Amino acid sequence: MDMTKVLVIGSISDLGLIGLAQKVESPEIHYLLLGGGDATQLGKYGVTKVYTLSAQVDEASLAETLVNLISTNNYSVIITPPVNKYFKTTIPIAAQKTSAPVLVDVLDLKQGGNTFEVTLNGVGNRAQVTVKVTDRVFLMAPPARFKPVEKVTTVTTESLQPKAITGIKVVSTEEKPKGKVRIEDAELIVSVGRGFKKQEDLKLAFELAEVLGAEIGCSRPIAADLKWLSEDHWVGLSGHKVRPKLYMAVGISGQPQHLAGMMESKTVVVINSDPNAPFFKNCDYGVVEDLYKFVPALTKKLREILKK
Amino acid sequence: MEILALVKLALDTGQLRVSETKVDIDSTPLKISDIDRNAVEEAVRIKEKAGGRVRVITALKYGPLTRRQQEAESLLREVLAMGADEAYLIVDNALINSDQLLTAKAIAATIRKLGNYDLIIAGEATIDGYTSQVGGPRVAAELGIPVITFVRELRVEGNKVTAKRDLEDAIQTVEAQLPVLVTVTREINVPRIPPLLQIRAAMKKPINRLGLADLGISMKSPVEVTNIVPIQVKRKGVIIKDGTVDEKVDKLIQALIQEGIITPPR
Repeated sequence: MDMTKVLVIGSISDLGLIGLAQKVESPEIHYLLLGGGDATQLGKYGVTKVYTLSAQVDEASLAETLVNLISTNNYSVIITPPVNKYFKTTIPIAAQKTSAPVLVDVLDLKQGGNTFEVTLNGVGNRAQVTVKVTDRVFLMAPPARFKPVEKVTTVTTESLQPKAITGIKVVSTEEKPKGKVRIEDAELIVSVGRGFKKQEDLKLAFELAEVLGAEIGCSRPIAADLKWLSEDHWVGLSGHKVRPKLYMAVGISGQPQHLAGMMESKTVVVINSDPNAPFFKNCDYGVVEDLYKFVPALTKKLREILKK
Repeated sequence: MEILALVKLALDTGQLRVSETKVDIDSTPLKISDIDRNAVEEAVRIKEKAGGRVRVITALKYGPLTRRQQEAESLLREVLAMGADEAYLIVDNALINSDQLLTAKAIAATIRKLGNYDLIIAGEATIDGYTSQVGGPRVAAELGIPVITFVRELRVEGNKVTAKRDLEDAIQTVEAQLPVLVTVTREINVPRIPPLLQIRAAMKKPINRLGLADLGISMKSPVEVTNIVPIQVKRKGVIIKDGTVDEKVDKLIQALIQEGIITPPR
């Protein structure tokens, strides 16, 4: 059978995506390695060719480079991480120009001849959708979902010279304050929402989180509008997707976009003074109470019980 | 100034009709995708300053068409009431369940058919698909114009656009010449709630319908949806609402111990 050509795009830490590439029948796997790193490491998993970029470029230039690479090598499957807005801008441009669909949040892939059957999370993360697609397709998936099998190969490396695309001029870049929370890996999360009236009041949640040994999460308005917390705390469809043992939502109403980010949590506790908050329909334990009374009392009692 | 706003009539996933084994998309209501309201608001504000008009374009993505068309038109009246002047509704069976490639081609073809434009505004993503593909990068790629994504502040002066992009770790300020496509985030503005007078006036504004044949498109979607299975999350739904604060605290702590989340030292 013919080889199926697959291109994986990402940094060296995205190599989990090779695991998805290996689900293709007899794949010939190439890797566009962004941000530097040891290319020979990729050879452990059957990658035969590694491309690097001679310079860091903007989205339009990367898209152009991709379009050229795809038409030169005629890839059937192109796999990318979903991680950031840089990719979210680049990939659809490249896909439209190479007449290909992009399937997002991919769970699995099966190949039958030149048809791919792809399973993914869809409908606002409310359903598992199976689709059939032929010919060229882009797949986006979190690298941690897959585990590549070892298969040592010889790797050749080639550096690409991206062409600058004029049109958008970057005038200035202002760094955002950096947090260091990796909320997506947290075991226990205390998450805060608009039920808190002032930024100082968040200390109630921080104290509770400290007793529990939990990380602090938040809903969109807290990170994006009010900026009370940095965006690494943000849980939701456009923030981070989390899957902790405990998700304790304090003063969060439970909009679908927020729920979509925490659906895979094991136990969900909701604390809200409004008995009609939609979150109560999606919880294991729901406490109807003013958070300003309940949270300090809970913290105090937990401290006694856990002897902290 | 000729401004186009791209709007999706999204599946209201908050009201998704789900049974044990099936997601009933056909009977789930549609709504204007939240962030597209911000797009329309921004378009109308620019018009109010610079003059010109705002035309709204949407492609109907959910069937059955017989029932959805009416629903689509009443939703479009909402954005017309916000101050848009005219709406274009692309209705075609080939677009139902189609992938983003075809949708973007249909929207781009409509834009070309409308003639000249200066600025196209869309939401950063839709609330149902949330892929951030169609309204922004794909349509821009199809039209061959630059795209500025994730914009939370936008200024248009003469022929020049200055935008602040909200990226993960930085705010990036960029400049471009018109025509350009911009996708906006929810933070860019607060969409207005139109007064009754505007709602009445919107009833008289034109909604034009187009099919793929009118646009000269005959391609089929490369993606075929074969199965949709709801992700069922069974939650216990224990509501603790009676008693004093301390009694509620005790009940919750008991539950956390039973779930094995906290373990009191002996």
